[in-house]
Amino acid sequence: MTRNYGALETKRFLVTPETKDFPRNNYGMATARGNNGSGQRPNNTTQNRICQFKLVLLGESAVGKSSLVLRFVKGQFHEYQESTIGAAFLTQTLCIDDTTVKFEIWDTAGQERYHSLAPMYYRGAQAAIVVYDIQNQDSFERAKNWVKELQRQATPNIVIALAGNKADLSQSRVVEHDEAKQYAEENGLLFLETSAKTAMNVNDIFLAIAKKLPKVEGNNGNVHGRRLNENEPNRQMNNCCK
Amino acid sequence: MATFSEIDEYGFKRSENFDYQMYERFMSDYLKVLAKRQQKWEEFLSKNSDLTHIDSTLKRYIRKGIPSSKRCDVWMKISGAGKFQKEFPNRFRELVEEEPEKSLKDSIIIDLPRTFPDNSMFNTQKEQLYNILIAFAHSNKAIGYCQGLNYIAGLLLLVTKDEEKSFWLLKVIVEKHVPNYHTSKMENLLRDLAVFKELVIRRVPEVNRHIENCGLPYAVIASKWFICLFAEVLPVETVLRIWDCVFSEGYKVLFRAALAVFITHKNKILECDDIAALSTIFREQLMSGEITTNCHKFIESMFKIRLTRSEVESLRKKCVGRNDT
Repeated sequence: MTRNYGALETKRFLVTPETKDFPRNNYGMATARGNNGSGQRPNNTTQNRICQFKLVLLGESAVGKSSLVLRFVKGQFHEYQESTIGAAFLTQTLCIDDTTVKFEIWDTAGQERYHSLAPMYYRGAQAAIVVYDIQNQDSFERAKNWVKELQRQATPNIVIALAGNKADLSQSRVVEHDEAKQYAEENGLLFLETSAKTAMNVNDIFLAIAKKLPKVEGNNGNVHGRRLNENEPNRQMNNCCK
Repeated sequence: MATFSEIDEYGFKRSENFDYQMYERFMSDYLKVLAKRQQKWEEFLSKNSDLTHIDSTLKRYIRKGIPSSKRCDVWMKISGAGKFQKEFPNRFRELVEEEPEKSLKDSIIIDLPRTFPDNSMFNTQKEQLYNILIAFAHSNKAIGYCQGLNYIAGLLLLVTKDEEKSFWLLKVIVEKHVPNYHTSKMENLLRDLAVFKELVIRRVPEVNRHIENCGLPYAVIASKWFICLFAEVLPVETVLRIWDCVFSEGYKVLFRAALAVFITHKNKILECDDIAALSTIFREQLMSGEITTNCHKFIESMFKIRLTRSEVESLRKKCVGRNDT
C-alpha cells in the first residue's frame, strides 16, 4: 500500500543551519532537532533543558491538518494527502534560545463522527491547533465549535492557535482574514493564515505556540510541559518551562 | 539484486525504504506456497463449487490462503455476498442512481483522490469507488459515509475489479462482521477497542503495562486497525489473507490479528523507551516490516493464539459504553 502517511516519521537527526527541510525561520533560529536525548545544538553549545508538550490538531475533514504536520515535521507536501483514520502521532522539536521544545503532535481525523474519539486525543494536551480552510465557511464554524469544546473540556489554560489553512488559494477565499483575526482576539487565540503547500507560516505557528506556552504556565510546572532534564537547575529560565 | 518492481501486484508503489532483500527472502519461499495452494484449490473447487457451507476442510483451506486468481469468486460465495447479488440484481444500480444529498456526495468526493493516491491502477477507478460508496450510504442510512470505508471499498475494488461485487462485499463486512463500528457514535468500535485492551492485559500483560507507561492510548494505536480491518495498516497481501478468514470465520479474526501484532512485536514494543519510538513501530514496522510482510507466518501466529468466541462476547458485555481506551 502507499505509505504517504507512513513517511511522516519522527525526525532523528541534528539539524544544522544548512538543513534544507528547515530554512531558518523568522525568529532567526534553525530549529528542528531530533529526539535523541543529549544531542548538541547546532551551535555546539550545551543544551539546557528540554520541554515536552502535547499538541493536538483539530478541525473539519480535508482542511489540511495532516498536511500542516507533514510540512512541519518533514518539510513535505502531497497534493492528495490520505485521509487520517482515528489519529496519528508524531514528534518534532524546536529550539528557542536555550530551550528545546519537543512537540508530541496528535493529528486527528476530521469527520464529524470521529468526534467520539476526540476527547481521548485532546486529554492532557497543553496546546491545540484548530484548523479551517479559508475557502470553506462551514469549516470555520466547525473550528469555532472546536475552540468552544477545548475551552470547556480540555486542560485549563490550553494554548490554542487558529490556523486558516490553504492561504495560497486566496482567490477562492470565503473566510476573511480580519473576521478570523477578530474572532481569535476575542477568544484569546493565536491566529495565522497558513499554507501547508507553500510552507507559509507553518513553522511560525508552531513557534508562536512554543513561545506562548510558558507564559500561561501555572504554579505547577508539570501541568504545562513536562521537564525532561535540566542541567542547570538554579538558572533563571527565560523562555520556556519553569 | 532487486527482481521486484517498485509497484506491487495491486498497483501500490513500494515505499522508498522498502526492503527488497527481505522481500526476496520471503517471496522465494512464499511463491512455492502459492503454487501449491493454487493447485490444491483447483482440485478442491473441481469437486466443491458451492462453498456456502464452510466445513472444517474449507476453513483450513481458507486459513492457508485463497489464491488471488480465485479470491473474488471464493469471497462472493463464502461471504454470502453472491447470494445477495443474485437475490437483488437491480439493487446496486438503483442505489447508485438515487439522488444523493449534497453533503453526503461532497464528503465522498473529497476522499476519492485521497484514497490510494499513489496506486497506479486506481487512477481509473475513482468513479467506481464513488458508486460503491454512494450506493452503500444510500443502502445504510445509519452509517452513510464514514471515512475508512473508502479504504475497504478501494481494496475490494482492486481485488474484484467489479463495483457491484465490491458493494455487496462491503455490505457484508460492515453490516455483518463489524456492525456499528462506522455509525455516528462508533459505539461498537469504542467497545471493541476496550475488549482488545482487556485481551492484551490477559495475554501479554507486560506489553500493556509498557504501552500504558509510555502513555499511548489504544485508540491511537488501533482505531484504524478495526475501522479499516487493517487496510492501510498492514501489507496488502497480509490484509487480504486476514479478510479471507474474516469472510469465513467472522469478527474474531480481527482480534486475532490485533493480538498477533502485539505478540509478534512484543520485544520491539518493550524496547521502546518513549511514546515517539512506540508510535514509530506501529506506523512503520506494521506496514513494511518483515514480521507482517511474511503473511503466511503472520496468519499462522494469529491462529496459534488461544481465543474463544465466548471470551470475546463476555468481554464485550463488560466493555459496553467504555470510551477511554
